[in-house]
Amino acid sequence: MGKYQLGEFEEVVMLTVAILQGDAYGISIIEEMEKRLDRKVSIGSLQTVLRRLEKKGYLKSEFGEATAVRGGKRKRFFALTQHGQTILRETKEQRLGLWNAIPDFALDKR
Amino acid sequence: MEKNHKYPPKYLLILFRWFCHPDFVEDIEGDLLERFEYKRGEKGLSRARWFFFLEILKLLRPGLIRPLFRTNSILPNAMIKNYIKIAFRNMVRHKAFSVLNVAGLSVGIACSILIMIYVQNELSYDKYNEKYERTYRVLGAYGNPSVPSSFEYQVWGCAPVGPALKQEFPQVEDVFRFTSAEPWLIATGDKKFQEENIVFADSTAFDVFSWKMMKGNPETALVRPNTIVFTESLAKKYFGDENPVGQTVIMENKDPFEVTGVMEDIPSNSHFSFDAMISMSTFQSRRPSVFTTWDYVDFYTYFTIKPETDIASIISQIPQVLENHAGNAKNYYNFQIEPVSDAYLYSDALRQPGPTGSLSNIYMFLTVAVFVLLIACINFMNLSTARAVERAKEVAIRKVIGSFRTTLIAQFLIESMVIVLLSGILALFTVILSVPFLEVISGKELSVEWLMSPQFIGIFIGGILLVGILSGSYPALVLSNFKPAKVLKGAFKTSSSGTLLRQSLVVVQFALSIILLVGTTVVFTQLDFIRNYELGYDSQQMLVVDYGWDPKVQKHLKYIKNELLKNEHVEAVAASRAVPGFFFPDAGTKIENEQGEMIMRSPAIYEIDDDFIPTYKMEIVAGRNFSRDFPADSANSLIVNEAAAKLYGYPNPEDIIGKQFDQWNRTGHVVGVVKDFNYVSLHDRIEPLSLRYSTAETTSMLSLRLKSNDISKALASIDSQWQELVPQRPMVSYFLDQNFNDQYEADDRFGSVFSVFSGIAMFIACLGLLGLTIYSTAQRAKEIGIRKVLGASVGQIVRLLSMSFVKLFLIALCVAVPLSWYVMNEWLQNFAYSISIGWGVFAMAAMITLVVSLITMSFKTVSVAVANPVKSLKDE
Repeated sequence: MGKYQLGEFEEVVMLTVAILQGDAYGISIIEEMEKRLDRKVSIGSLQTVLRRLEKKGYLKSEFGEATAVRGGKRKRFFALTQHGQTILRETKEQRLGLWNAIPDFALDKR
Repeated sequence: MEKNHKYPPKYLLILFRWFCHPDFVEDIEGDLLERFEYKRGEKGLSRARWFFFLEILKLLRPGLIRPLFRTNSILPNAMIKNYIKIAFRNMVRHKAFSVLNVAGLSVGIACSILIMIYVQNELSYDKYNEKYERTYRVLGAYGNPSVPSSFEYQVWGCAPVGPALKQEFPQVEDVFRFTSAEPWLIATGDKKFQEENIVFADSTAFDVFSWKMMKGNPETALVRPNTIVFTESLAKKYFGDENPVGQTVIMENKDPFEVTGVMEDIPSNSHFSFDAMISMSTFQSRRPSVFTTWDYVDFYTYFTIKPETDIASIISQIPQVLENHAGNAKNYYNFQIEPVSDAYLYSDALRQPGPTGSLSNIYMFLTVAVFVLLIACINFMNLSTARAVERAKEVAIRKVIGSFRTTLIAQFLIESMVIVLLSGILALFTVILSVPFLEVISGKELSVEWLMSPQFIGIFIGGILLVGILSGSYPALVLSNFKPAKVLKGAFKTSSSGTLLRQSLVVVQFALSIILLVGTTVVFTQLDFIRNYELGYDSQQMLVVDYGWDPKVQKHLKYIKNELLKNEHVEAVAASRAVPGFFFPDAGTKIENEQGEMIMRSPAIYEIDDDFIPTYKMEIVAGRNFSRDFPADSANSLIVNEAAAKLYGYPNPEDIIGKQFDQWNRTGHVVGVVKDFNYVSLHDRIEPLSLRYSTAETTSMLSLRLKSNDISKALASIDSQWQELVPQRPMVSYFLDQNFNDQYEADDRFGSVFSVFSGIAMFIACLGLLGLTIYSTAQRAKEIGIRKVLGASVGQIVRLLSMSFVKLFLIALCVAVPLSWYVMNEWLQNFAYSISIGWGVFAMAAMITLVVSLITMSFKTVSVAVANPVKSLKDE
């Protein structure tokens, strides 16, 4: 199984999509990330990642209903695919594995 | 309005929609707007807009932008790449043809662009004015109301008409008048020069024209008397880097004027120009009567109307203006209104404030541009069709494999596009390098900025496409029509229809070249003709000293003249107001006609002393010259020219002698008629002229006829004598013939621009001919080999190869001669005195074309003729 390594930003985006649970579209994702992680995210960088993840099959998307705000433009809601969930879980386990492998004294120093 | 402010800049959204991948546009745009709303609530509008701008910039990513080629149709994309690759391979394989093609086309395109730049510059006159669209000027005329044709409108007019318009019409925004340029002696510190191009100007100058004031207040600079506004370059001449505003300059050795401003130099594309403006109030305080009379002509009147008002309502009420303001003058004065947009190219009024352009020259240049481009295109078509045979196999195989005819056409069109585009890019570089050269020969300041304008880019791309399709279409249609079976069987030879077309194209090319050559020859012969035309006086060795109305010179005029006469180099001296080729006034003049009525006309006026006519060696055809033997001459006599005698109804000059006249407060009798002489350029007929006896105060120039041939010695001697006689003023002098010929500068420049482009056209045509010769000699290599083996001499073979061209050349000559005769005759209509086009012109053009073509062909024909026949015969 050719492993695809998620990038850090990709991972954060996928996690945020998971958190938002069906309410994940461009702006809500950005706001959630800004709120939780205290980092500035531009629409451009987020959208590139979203499209890339979708192309790889980790995310799926569909249009919502048109609303009066946003100049009448529809939102595109993103959600994890089965494959995406698997990847995310695998990534988490890899990280945990790494964490667990750290000798205790290495962190106690702080 | 309110709603507009709530939204982000629209152009950014349009930009975004354009570059974003179509699948993503909708939701990302929604995101953008939502984000904008949020930021606006949080940080305010301007921050939100800035943020929006940044967001859009950050959306420019490879993953999000629109793909360059449509991804779902990979096939044409690859084929296009293949076509381009084949095109380049072909170019590299046939280096000589490619070089000829690209060189011809790029020179042709570069020429056309240069001509377009020139034409663009001619069309751009006065457009720098912000109020260009609503600026007008007044044309005035004096004449007899019962004979409408007696009114000849001129730009130079009287003073009160401007204020009258302003008073009568609320629509009139500002009125600006300035006078004709006069020489002024300006001194400051140790610098003292006579400036030739200084005008009196109303304080509204900067309201009507968009000249930028660099220092000083444009509102008040020209209000007080004795104030002057310098242009930048004049300010630099007198003050260097100092600030001139507030400084004092001494005018005419006596009057201190305050410099109240420095303005930018008048743009080169303005239809008139000056070096400095003196406030009109200076003039008004000196000669207030001039500003109320409708009979004194010295003002150019320009005015703007308020936005969204109509000039027609003003024009229709001209009679009322005259009725209300002009008093008695309404019986013989009338005026018209002309938009400033007509001033440079479309005005036929007399006495323009500056040189005007010529629409017919523009058309001639555009014709040359089209010709040059056409010749270049024909080259390309000829070379491509000539080589069709070589491409036949490729076409056949493509067809066998399954190529459609349409795709083949596309292939050849793309090939020609590639070459044309390459030439176009090369041409742009050529243009940028050669604009300075064109500036020198055209004498104009040309702006390359136009090359960056969307208008030019549109024309350029459109032109490239057009030339590409034009020159690629024939080869594409012919080549794609080949029958593959025939070609592959080997039964394919040059089609006779192709040859015919090629030959007719060569005929067209050479007809065009001959037309251009005839044009060049005619232009130069005509220019030579007017320069050597019998002027009606002797302009040789006539030195003109312009002392700019200097009162001290005027006071001692007799003494100065006598002293100058003592100089061994001087044969004769005369004083006058103006000399031929120079500025002169005209005035309403009444002369008794045969029925005894006094009739009013406005001939030009020369004010001369009694030495003028003998000094200039003019011929008196009736009556006598002014003479000191008749003391009454100074107040009661007038001399006219033959044209003026005719104007007042005396075809026989003898009959006007002794008739009464009334001119500029002088009455008396006509005493003499002088033979017509050319006092303006030969573009115009000799106009009626009256010669008044000058008083010292009405003279500003001395004419000195020099004896010796040693001009420099004479000049030095006169100059040192002048320094003694007139210490207060440097001597400003010209040679009359030189100065008179300056009037033809525009014609000269036209001639040189025209000849350069004709030469280039000829060059391109020769490139094409060379290409065809290379091709046809290659085709006939075996034939030539066999001929040589059988005993043909080199001369015979060269003749054989050249003869086919000479036949075409003769046909071209038959086409070109009547066409060029017609066109050049039209051009000659611009001159009142012109040559008639003789056979010599055509013979010369034909000879040049023939000789140049044969020499071009000989580069190849001779080398083929002397080649060893074994070489061409052994391979097979």
